[in-house]
Amino acid sequence: MTTLQDMLFIINQVFEIEKKAVRLAEKNSIARNTQRLRDKFTELGYELFDPLGEAYSDTRTDCEASIAGDSLDNLRITDVIKPIIAQRSGATLMIVQKAVVVVEGS
Amino acid sequence: MSQTIDFGIDLGTTNSVIAHAHDGKVEILRNPLSLKETLPSVVAYRKSRILVGEKAREFMERDPENVVGGFKRKMGTADRYFIRSLDQQVSPVDLSAQVLKELRSFVHGGIVPEAVVITIPASFDTIQSNATHEAGRAAGFDEVVLLQEPIAASLAFANRQEEYGRALGRGQWLVYDLGGGTFDVALVRIKDGEMRVLDHEGDNFLGGGDFDDLIVTKIIVPKLQATGKFEDLERQLKSAKGRHNGLYFKLLLLAEEAKIRLSSHDKADIEFEAADDEEEDQEFFFSILRSELEALLDPYIDQTISMIERILVRNNMESSELDYVLMVGGSTYIPRVRERVGAGLNIAINCDIDPTTAVGEGAAYYAATKPRRKKGISLEKKYEPLTESAAGLQIRMAYARTSKERTEYFTAKVEGELRGLQYRIVRTDGGFDSGLKDLLPRIEEDLPLMLDTYNVFKFTVIDQYGHIVREDLPEIGITQGKYSVSGQPLPADICIEIDDLETRRTKLEPIFKKNEILPLRRTITKQVMKTIRKGQDEQLVINVLEGSANLLPAVSLPIGFIIISGKDLERDVIKGSDVDVTVEISESRDLKISAVLLMTDQEFTNVFSSNERQVNLARLEAEIQQLLEQANDELMDARLKDDAQLIRRLDGIREELEALLTQIKGMAQDDVTDSRYQLDDRKRKLARELSETTQDQALENSKLQYFDYKRYSKYYIDKYGTVTEQQNFNRLLEQEREVLRVGSAARIDDLSDRLLSLSWDVRWRTLEFLSALFSQNFSQRLSEYPDQNRARSLITEGNSALARGDVFGLQSVIRRLYDMLPPERKGSFQFGTGIG
Repeated sequence: MTTLQDMLFIINQVFEIEKKAVRLAEKNSIARNTQRLRDKFTELGYELFDPLGEAYSDTRTDCEASIAGDSLDNLRITDVIKPIIAQRSGATLMIVQKAVVVVEGS
Repeated sequence: MSQTIDFGIDLGTTNSVIAHAHDGKVEILRNPLSLKETLPSVVAYRKSRILVGEKAREFMERDPENVVGGFKRKMGTADRYFIRSLDQQVSPVDLSAQVLKELRSFVHGGIVPEAVVITIPASFDTIQSNATHEAGRAAGFDEVVLLQEPIAASLAFANRQEEYGRALGRGQWLVYDLGGGTFDVALVRIKDGEMRVLDHEGDNFLGGGDFDDLIVTKIIVPKLQATGKFEDLERQLKSAKGRHNGLYFKLLLLAEEAKIRLSSHDKADIEFEAADDEEEDQEFFFSILRSELEALLDPYIDQTISMIERILVRNNMESSELDYVLMVGGSTYIPRVRERVGAGLNIAINCDIDPTTAVGEGAAYYAATKPRRKKGISLEKKYEPLTESAAGLQIRMAYARTSKERTEYFTAKVEGELRGLQYRIVRTDGGFDSGLKDLLPRIEEDLPLMLDTYNVFKFTVIDQYGHIVREDLPEIGITQGKYSVSGQPLPADICIEIDDLETRRTKLEPIFKKNEILPLRRTITKQVMKTIRKGQDEQLVINVLEGSANLLPAVSLPIGFIIISGKDLERDVIKGSDVDVTVEISESRDLKISAVLLMTDQEFTNVFSSNERQVNLARLEAEIQQLLEQANDELMDARLKDDAQLIRRLDGIREELEALLTQIKGMAQDDVTDSRYQLDDRKRKLARELSETTQDQALENSKLQYFDYKRYSKYYIDKYGTVTEQQNFNRLLEQEREVLRVGSAARIDDLSDRLLSLSWDVRWRTLEFLSALFSQNFSQRLSEYPDQNRARSLITEGNSALARGDVFGLQSVIRRLYDMLPPERKGSFQFGTGIG
């Protein structure tokens, strides 16, 4: 039986593969496979969000952050170790995994 | 109202826990925002908001002027923390009260705890204990009872023993508490039913966080240095101004993951990328062995053993006089800690309780035995007047109900007595928390939105003791993205035409449903239903149509297609391989279809503008052939039933279809006149007529078939299905009413397919089904197998598997016999779009 933890594990691995594929010089064929998996996750009711590059503040409870550097101005997410995963229930979403991110100011 | 206190709080140095005893059990309450059982004991005063827990901890190192943790160590002292954003001092009691108030917000179900048991370290003196008591009162509890942490942990253990029918009588043991940042050990004795802490030791700066840092410094850093060019790496990692400071935090997270994995495995893999000093991207992948971690931890574990030995010496005891060491605190999950303490002292290690929550759990057990003080001697209800005044507050909210932005501005006007009141806005999916802010006559917030969904925020008003005094306010609901009013709805379903193996015709599968809002994009994966050889004329047709998914493809309006011929292929595409079809429709209704053949990794794209109608003559001819075939089938049925009126109507349709076919055959493929559009219109009219003429019968057949399949599937799922399979089955049945109401044969068939598919997984593992399948479909038809010798031998093998009840053996035989069947017996499908 597939548990929520199993699903999160699989989605996190797909996210890792996507990150690695971006760095490879290939004609996006890996991205097509991972997109198919993302579509399947959506069908199963799971949405995956990559907050890389987004602004960060102390009200964002969708991420667990480690703040690097000595500036707290203009905080941005500079590294995403795990993405945000939400589960759809009717018209609304519920976050089932917070992103694990590194944040830096400028 | 309960007559006992019922709530217990472990107010920890690093993390805190709240537990509730009810119905003879203890429930550890989770943080509704993080869903964790523990709350970091950290408070942040950032700008105008107060944050407690995870968010506060994130900013603790970087914003020490406004964020405070570890204040438990200062309880009962005159020390104060100057908070820059407040421009004032706060006391450890104030900070503890904030943590207690936040923990109380975990309580759900409309219960408002007014009394609580709070745990304190065994080392706390009277002044420190009084300070904790005061913090509880400041948090709005009108009755506070204190309990020593080692006693609480022991109570959790004692209650666990009682569940197993064992009671603690006399004895003495150690409570070894190694948490995230602190270590405590206490000697506990029970005599005549009374539990007492006899002695204790501790170290306020030893815990799991130190172990993570050790893994980074002693194991990971040397690997980095061996692979890339890094100067003065440790300082560059750990200094806030260091060029690799971001990497340090990532490594700490990886180290913690590895540490947890090494508790149950002999090795843990670490994988990450990092740029070295010359900006060269380096990839790191290596394993950490459990033995490596253990070598690092041993000196620290030995320090804790030395503390225990000091306790034993002070109390003139031998370790053999102790019953066991009770392990508490998250770091005691590490097997080495358990092994080394047990071996070093030669005492049995007891890990029967959850080390993370045991103290809170024990506090709640104790709370369940403590009667509430009688009314009349209760402390003054300070918060009641505020509750009354809060009830009279006028709050008028203003915000956009729909938004295309990532954040939406929210404002509210508040009238009434606001003194001492705060508010908090939380997004109900757990992604936003405003923190506690003073309630002012006008409040403003930028609310972050999740994309493409309905975002719900809860607005609550809270008094100075942490009690929610207004939660009856309407929800703040904002729809983000495509549901914006500027979006255009689709006027009809958009479908893809696929082969239907059962009827040997084609059918429509909806990609987008009527009234979905543009723009839209979706990718579906379909199977190639026939082998297409490189260089040959065979084709795959991806046909996109607009019209109800419940009707025949020929009735719908073709709006775009891709034809992939064998001549376009770089290699053969084998039946059964996948094709990804992506359909996009822009807000201005431009259609883009792309198809990727996974076998050849080739992508085909076609873009259609909505003002260009696409009619392919070859496709039109094939569709009319298919309609003709269907009309003939229906005609045969009508003749069998001797339905004269139906025969007359179907005959008329058939004649018109034949005339149409003759006309198309006479046209050139590149005919430039608008005849093809006229012919397409006529075909659609005939298709609709055929569909309407025959749909009642089709619907009736589909319904009969559906109830048959349902009965059949239910039998197997009730008898052999798991709980999950039964739940999934019931979920499908919930759709039955709606599907039957719509009255579409295609939708009923689809539901039938899904029921069968679900029950297939169950049937396939039962001997009952396999036996029937084997006997009826495979073992009696020897003449149908091209290789009869091999088939005979497999049938013999199948019979003996059946005789010994070997499910796997029978499955294997059936699979192999199926593979041997000629394509026509497998139900191959030779005509159609080629995808399904």
